[in-house]
Amino acid sequence: MARKTPFGQQMREKHFGFAPSYTPLNHGSFGASPLIVQQKQRELQKLETERPDSFIVYDLPDLIEESRRAVAPFLGVPAEEVVFVPNATTGINTVLRNLEYKEKDVIVHFSTIYDSCEMTIASIAEMAPLTASSVLVEYPIEDDMIVKRFRYRVLELIDEGFNVKIALFDTTLTFPGVRVPWEDLVKVCKEFGVLSLIDGAHGIGDIDLTHVGAVGPDFFVSNCHKWLYNPRGCAVFHVPLRNQPLIRTTIPTSYRFQPKKENEAAEQPPKSHFIELFDFVATMDHSPYCCVPAAIDFRKSICGGEEAIRRYTWGLARLGGKSVSQILGTEVMANSTGSLTKCSFTTVGLPIALKAEGEAVGKGCYSVKDALKIKAWLNKTALKEFDTYLQVGLHAGTLWVRLSGQIYLESKDFDWVGYKLKELCLRLEGGKVEL
Amino acid sequence: TGSFGTFPKAISDLRRAYLDECEKSPDPFIRYELGKIMDQNRKAVANLMGAPVETVVFVPNATTGVNTVLRNIEWNEDGQDEILYFNTIYGACGKAVAYVCEYSRDSVQAREINLTYPLPESMILATFRDTIKASRAAGKVPRIAIFDTISSLPGIRMPFEALTKICQEEGVLSLVDGAHGIGHIPISFQTFQPDFFVSNVHKWLYVPRGCAVFYVPVKNQHLIRTSIPTSHGFVPKKGLGSPNPLPNSGKGEFVENFEFNGTIDNTNYLVVGESIRWRQEACGGEKVINDYCINLAHEGGKLVAEILGTNILDNEEHTLTQCCLVNVLLPVSTQPYENFQVVEEEKKGLVTPWLEQTLISDYKTFIAIYSFQGQWWARLSAQIYLDKSDFEWAGHTLKALCERAGKGDVSSFAGTN
Repeated sequence: MARKTPFGQQMREKHFGFAPSYTPLNHGSFGASPLIVQQKQRELQKLETERPDSFIVYDLPDLIEESRRAVAPFLGVPAEEVVFVPNATTGINTVLRNLEYKEKDVIVHFSTIYDSCEMTIASIAEMAPLTASSVLVEYPIEDDMIVKRFRYRVLELIDEGFNVKIALFDTTLTFPGVRVPWEDLVKVCKEFGVLSLIDGAHGIGDIDLTHVGAVGPDFFVSNCHKWLYNPRGCAVFHVPLRNQPLIRTTIPTSYRFQPKKENEAAEQPPKSHFIELFDFVATMDHSPYCCVPAAIDFRKSICGGEEAIRRYTWGLARLGGKSVSQILGTEVMANSTGSLTKCSFTTVGLPIALKAEGEAVGKGCYSVKDALKIKAWLNKTALKEFDTYLQVGLHAGTLWVRLSGQIYLESKDFDWVGYKLKELCLRLEGGKVEL
Repeated sequence: TGSFGTFPKAISDLRRAYLDECEKSPDPFIRYELGKIMDQNRKAVANLMGAPVETVVFVPNATTGVNTVLRNIEWNEDGQDEILYFNTIYGACGKAVAYVCEYSRDSVQAREINLTYPLPESMILATFRDTIKASRAAGKVPRIAIFDTISSLPGIRMPFEALTKICQEEGVLSLVDGAHGIGHIPISFQTFQPDFFVSNVHKWLYVPRGCAVFYVPVKNQHLIRTSIPTSHGFVPKKGLGSPNPLPNSGKGEFVENFEFNGTIDNTNYLVVGESIRWRQEACGGEKVINDYCINLAHEGGKLVAEILGTNILDNEEHTLTQCCLVNVLLPVSTQPYENFQVVEEEKKGLVTPWLEQTLISDYKTFIAIYSFQGQWWARLSAQIYLDKSDFEWAGHTLKALCERAGKGDVSSFAGTN
């Protein structure tokens, strides 16, 4: 039996195509896929190029079905309840734009909502009677506090005569990079008859989601091109059978849409044609959808399976985060139960003093208004001088850095970035930096 | 080529190079390089179109472009708005219209313009004007009309420039579906000024799928509030929400709105300029390509029709065939016409799928077969990698196939899936 490539530097050199001088500590934003899977994608693209018409018309549906069958067990749901869309943003848009809204309808979300989702709601609200209600959450915070605030808000809204139609929340937040008690939030939704839309952009391949079917959210979307090592763009969109009639159209609408008028004229009621609807929407490169089995196979045979991967990446994030925080003299974003860090992210505070608006700013201090400029400077400088991208963000008045544990990294990479960050922050403190 | 397009090796190599660069360091490439390179490519295609660069963005395909326009229009609450469309509208666009009407609970409705081919161009224009009149006579407001540059099935050229002028005169928004457009026929936006225009560049411009150009003149950009899907670039009316996390480009709201619409692999957007350059250097330029293809479609179509003993779809002035697609009547019918193969009435639904599948399985080619106005047609696309001998081969192949159809092969066809 071939010896398994160990995680860390060797895995990186053998299986990933990163530039040698680049330190990839931000897997969370755009993911990465191993060379073997990229090769598979190339083969599929070649097939499509050699015989485009026959590939698209005859081969593609079978390949997509194979992918659906491979990924469904990751969510613990039947394959009939799973289709692919290009990315989580499209999945969220698909749900929110399919629903019909009437006066007094409200969508509840948290203040940490991903900004594209917030924009989607704002866009819809321009033409439909939908109101957004944002629940303020500042980290670190305990899980039960999040759930409590959510429940109170729902009760408040009902009291005020609103119809809480749907709630949108994450499995793992984008920023800070922390785990969300989404299962308990779904329970609250069910208690009050609120539709639950889960933005699992950070989900499949990072956290165990085999209980999604059991928990039973109303709609669930997760990017395969983030943590599942699949090529961009591919996301799994799960809609339980009971809700499939609510998803009348893909986004964009295409030729497989069945207008109600046609259905009414037909003799028999239409069968759910959810799968067919999403099988081909419009011309695009479908090869990412077809790579899912190869990505899953890589994780199983080369990496030793999901649990093995998780153990390493979560463990590395935990250790690495601690190390960086010690080097910087700051803290890792964590709560008392340790629930926030049950993922491959670690979010560490940056030692940059930010004064509130209006407060006096001395040398080496900055106003919170400068936070974006500081972030941009850190991004640019780290890239130029150290060839790494730092996912820096402002949360609750402090700057943090979000780092991603991965199988192609080792603790030395985190130590390294800790010292580089320290250097950069000292320069900022020195006040000679041009923002 | 008409269905999905194709592209030369030089282009796929460049695309692969960008993809590799992206994999070497994803964040820097996607956050900092992608936008810049995309702008260069936007400029290249805008130049080709004779349009200002600030009016041109990329979307994944024409279907997305059409959906983007239809979903952004604010329909009047009085329920009188109408969308005008032709009976030859592309299937997906027809469904997008149907969806918008359904979702609006019929407060906006669709009005179909029915044309029977072949017909003179003047008749197309007159019927269009009459439809606008009829809409108003019925107390409705024709807000927007959607029509093709070249329709899909049948593959024929529409008088889209004249239709656009009528729209301008009548105060109707024009949404031109140029899915078969750029790289296929000469279009200049100096003279042609639609309100909205989409064109696939993965069809006739040799760009890897899927990539389309979405053109909106500056005066209309305020009408397109959101991309589909909505993403970081959306600017809410009330000024709420957090700032766009991607670096500010100062390119204007419309362009920024469409710069990033969810993570996909859009390295194919980055080879549009190279493709235009290749067509210039390796082929001699757009005019040479267009002339070759249109001529080949004419001659090749004529040849196929001769072999089959039928005709091509055309009008007397030959305006319908001013494109690289040609539609040849197949000698198959449910009626006993002279020199036509007969298939049973009950089996007529199997003819198209049987023909298409058998072409692939037995003859290793794909030809678009469709039924239109009660007859069966084959749509062929002329391309620079084809010549008359390919059409001759197609003619003989189709002849043999039609004979098999007549002998009963269709009757025993079980179909797939």
